[in-house]
Formats: sequence, C-alpha cells, structure tokens
Amino acid sequence: MKIVVTYQWAPDPAEASVGSDGKVDFSRAKSAVSDYDATAIQVGRALADATGAALIGVSVGGPAAGTPVATKAALSRGLDEVLVVADPTLEGAGTLTTAKVIAAVVKSLGDVALVVTGDSSIDTGARMTAPVLGGLLGWPVVTDAKSVELAGAAITVSRVLPEGVQTLSVAGPAVIASSADASKPKAPGMKDVMAAAKKPAAVKAPADFGIALAPEGAVKSTGKVSGSSRKGVRIDTSDPAAAAAELVSALRTTGVLS
Amino acid sequence: MSFQLTDEQELIRSSVREFAEAEVAPIAAEIDKNHRPPLETVPKLGEMGLLGMLIPEEYGGTHMDTISFAIAIEELSRVCGTTGVLVEAHSSLCTWPIVHYGNEEQKQKYLPALATGEAIGAFGLTEPNAGSDAGATTTTAVRDGDDFILNGQKVFITNGGFAKTFVVMARSTDAPGVKGVSAFIVERDTPGFTIGDPEQKMGIRGSSTTPLFFSDVRIPAANLLGKEGQGFEIAMQTLDGGRTGIAAQALGIAQGAFEAAVKYAKERVQFGKPIASLQAIQWMIADMGVDIEAGRALVYQAADAEWKGQPHSIPSAIAKLYCGEMATRVTGKAIQVHGGVGYTESYPVERMYRDAKITEIYEGTSEIQRLVIARSYLR
Repeated sequence: MKIVVTYQWAPDPAEASVGSDGKVDFSRAKSAVSDYDATAIQVGRALADATGAALIGVSVGGPAAGTPVATKAALSRGLDEVLVVADPTLEGAGTLTTAKVIAAVVKSLGDVALVVTGDSSIDTGARMTAPVLGGLLGWPVVTDAKSVELAGAAITVSRVLPEGVQTLSVAGPAVIASSADASKPKAPGMKDVMAAAKKPAAVKAPADFGIALAPEGAVKSTGKVSGSSRKGVRIDTSDPAAAAAELVSALRTTGVLS
Repeated sequence: MSFQLTDEQELIRSSVREFAEAEVAPIAAEIDKNHRPPLETVPKLGEMGLLGMLIPEEYGGTHMDTISFAIAIEELSRVCGTTGVLVEAHSSLCTWPIVHYGNEEQKQKYLPALATGEAIGAFGLTEPNAGSDAGATTTTAVRDGDDFILNGQKVFITNGGFAKTFVVMARSTDAPGVKGVSAFIVERDTPGFTIGDPEQKMGIRGSSTTPLFFSDVRIPAANLLGKEGQGFEIAMQTLDGGRTGIAAQALGIAQGAFEAAVKYAKERVQFGKPIASLQAIQWMIADMGVDIEAGRALVYQAADAEWKGQPHSIPSAIAKLYCGEMATRVTGKAIQVHGGVGYTESYPVERMYRDAKITEIYEGTSEIQRLVIARSYLR
C-alpha cells in the first residue's frame, strides 16, 4: 500500500519583500517545501507509520523542483521516496496542469490508498489542487481535514468547520486536503537531513507519463494591487504607546473603528 | 578554494534556522532577563541531533562535518547566544576530547547520554590563577590505588550548573609546567565535587557559568582521559576546535544583529522616509555586511581545515580573533542604527551586544589569539 503526499517547492514567503507598489517580490527568496505541504507530509508520515504503507512525495514544477537540494529537503521531512516531474514548461504551472500531472503520476504508481495534499498553495492560495485532482482521478475529496485515520480502504476524516466538528467516513482511495493546523511542522533533525541523500528520488519529465502539456490560460488579476491604493501612512513605532494611539486614531478617521 | 556549501550543509542551515526560530528565539529575551538556563530546550536539542554533532553514529551521534557544526552553532547563536554556547561548549569541549582521546569503554559509557542530552557536558580548565596561562594549573590529582583523588578549584565553567559530565584538567605528576597536567572525566554526583553559584554576567546570561570545587574527590583511574601528562595537549587540541565553534557563535550573533538592523532601518521613518535611504545608515549596513562575510569565510575555512585533518590551530585562532571582535563591532553598529531604542530591552540588539563581548574573551582571549598568530608568522 502507498500513501502519496503532494508538495510544492516554492519561494519562501518569509524571504519575499513587498515593493512600494504593493507587489510581492520573490526574486531573492530561497525556495523550500511550502509550510502547508510540510504539514501534509507529517500527516502522511503518521498514517504511513500506523499502516505500514510507503510514503511517497510527488511534486510538479520547474527545473528547481528536481534539483538534489529540493528532493533532499522534501525527503528530510519524513518521506520514504520522492517522484518529481520537473520541466521548464511546468514553471509556475496552474492548478489544472499541476493536477493533471499529479493524477498521471498517481495512476502510474498503483496501489495508492490515499493522496494527502496541503491546505493551500503557498503562491496562489487557490486551494483547488485537491478538488481538481480528485475529479481527474474520480476519487472522493475531503478538504479541511484536521485528522485522518486509515483502516484498510476505510478513511475517517475529522473536519473542523465554523459550525462544529464533522466526522466523515470515506471509501478509499481518496484525496484528502489536510488543514493548515492538522499538525505543527517540525524542523527536520540532523539525522533526517543526513539520511535524505540515501533515499530514492526520481526526477522525470511530463513525457515520461505520456502527458502533452497544453498552454494554460494565464491567471488575470482583476482587482487592484492593494498597495497601489494605500495612503502610505507610516507610524513611528519607537514609542509603542504613542504608535498604538496614532493607529487607533487613524482607524477611527477612516471609519474602520467607530 | 571554494566555499560552495553542499546540499546537506544548506539543509542543515535551513533546518536549524527553522528549529531556532520556533524553539529558541521565543525564550531568548526571557532567559537573558532572568539569568535562566534554557533547560527546557535541552531535550529538543537532543531530539534534533544537535547535541551529538561531533559524536560518531555508533555512539548515538550524528557525526557531522565541522562546517555543518559551525553552521548549526551560527544559526542557534543568530537568535540566542546563550543556546549557541550551551551546544558549542557541550560539543567542542566535552564530547570532542572524549571522542578523540577516550578509550572504547569511556566512549560507550559517556557518549550516548551526551548525544541525546540526557547528560550535558562541560570542560574544566580555567582556575583563579590559571586562565590564559593554562600551564599554571594547580588542581591536583593524586594516585591512590585504582583511583585518583582530586583537590582544587575551577572557575568560569560553561554549563557548570547543570552539566553531568565534566572533562577536567588536573596536575597528576610532579613534572613541571604543562607536562604534569592530565585530563579526567568527572561525573557530577561524585562525592566531594560541588558546583558553586553561577556568575552574574554581562551577557550570555542564560548560560550557566560556575566555579567547580574539588575536595578529596575520588574518581576511578579508568576516568583518566588519554595518558597521564597528556592533559595540556588534550586541552590545546580541544580548544583549537572550540575556537572555531566560538567564532561561529560570534558570527551568528553578528548575523542576528545585522538582520535586526536592516529590518529596523527599512521600517524607521525620519525626515519623511525610511532611515535606510540615508547614506549614513547605508554605510553602516555595508560595513556590517562586509565584516560578517569576511568572518564567515574565516570560520568555514578553519572548520574545513579541521575536517580535512589539516593543521587548524592558526586558522581557528584567526577566525576566533576576527569574529570575536567583528561581533562586537557589528552589534555595536546595530545599536547605532536603532538609535535610542537599540539601547533598550525592547529590541534584541542590546542583548546581542552584551552577548558578543564574551566571544573576545573565552576559549582564549583576543590577546592570546594574537600571540598564537604572531608566533606562527615570526617562528
């Protein structure tokens, strides 16, 4: 039995900068396994340990996703092996393309009981990969999974929703999107880092799965970049009390506070 | 010469940084304020494999290369100088001499617990009248059958307040000067061995720095580390590696202060614009960055030489001298960039400035490093 965890090798938002025009600049940010997916890997690791399944990481992206440092970084987080589909045409791929490639990989692996994804993607935040992937595979999809249990083909998922806790029983195989708080990502230990180089990592091209990539429509932002409409008011924080008073005053002036 | 880090070294940096940000940074200011050792962090450090970095895998360690070790110390120190030196002293000063001079029985007995953090290590060399002059050791170890009996006093022992395993230098023969000094492993709960009150220090306040008192402390002769009379050699070899570790600590403290200064310079507005746009600030930022990069090159060069088994006394002395003084310069400039608030406990740079100063002093003062370096040029 296999459990697949999808992950994204993406620029770390903590290292991005925001320009005066409100645009986020990732050009100098180092890439990492996204925080959402680090959580998903831990969820998958716990399931694999409980069931004896092999835990396979699957990633889709540009050439950087297939570099040794990228695969080792993912493996150091607890995956047993990784399979990366890396290609220049997949740089910045949208949800549909990404899901198509992942679906092809999952089908090629066989005996996959479960695909675990992160809650969202670190770049677009669309939260669509799991639903689209489930649709392409013809598998049930459960999002916002706070906890997951796997017993044979039976999958039990707890979802924490605004209305309360919902427990669902799903017949596998299925696609489960773990919630951002399903586990607290833990930094890989030194032994995990050293062991990562010894684990299997395969880097393939879309053609290896018989996938011909069609151009995907560009994402067009119809809203204004928030920074462009900002007033650019800066508050001097060297005196916290004065800064707080100034902030409250400004929020009242603009009607945010009454 | 190339300083291209390996994938593993890059990942060790990112992993230790992630750990340090999550587990070390949140308590750094509090342990400093309360002069409190971060004992709750010790099991986490052990779980991360950060306490067995210099210990071979067969004894439970992770046996990392010395550049990786330096990177780990740098990243811990970037957010907390106290935690940096806790790990550095434990690793370089206690686990290293046991790994390199211990017999098989000693390694099996002590290293597994040191690798997990079940036991923290310390190193007892300095005495009230034997600081830079290590050959003036007066603590004695007198043979009595199958035992040695230790009497004397050590001072300024890092991790002293909670360490369980101590590597201690004592004079065991009548041979004059350094030739009469031997190294011993002393367990904390040995009768007659007491730990004094911790020093109230200017910086690295969470680090437990204590005197050690030996009053007829009977230890088995099996705890002699290396050969009798080999203690000074063990101490000097240990300190060669330790100096690179302290240089890495200084580098990390400087890096943390530098990042804080850059952040503040971009946020602080004066004359209607961020002070980062002012040339006076830009020049300080540039000087700090150059200073740090130079120090980093020296640290990695010394660590690389040690890992390759090359002579590293001089590279480690150069790295220690430069980085110790660099850290004081950089943290001082970081306060200057912050202006008045940098002098307050509201921002971390005053703590970093206080933490940095000790790196010019312990494990060999800057003056001793200059002595070592000058001798290498003048011989």
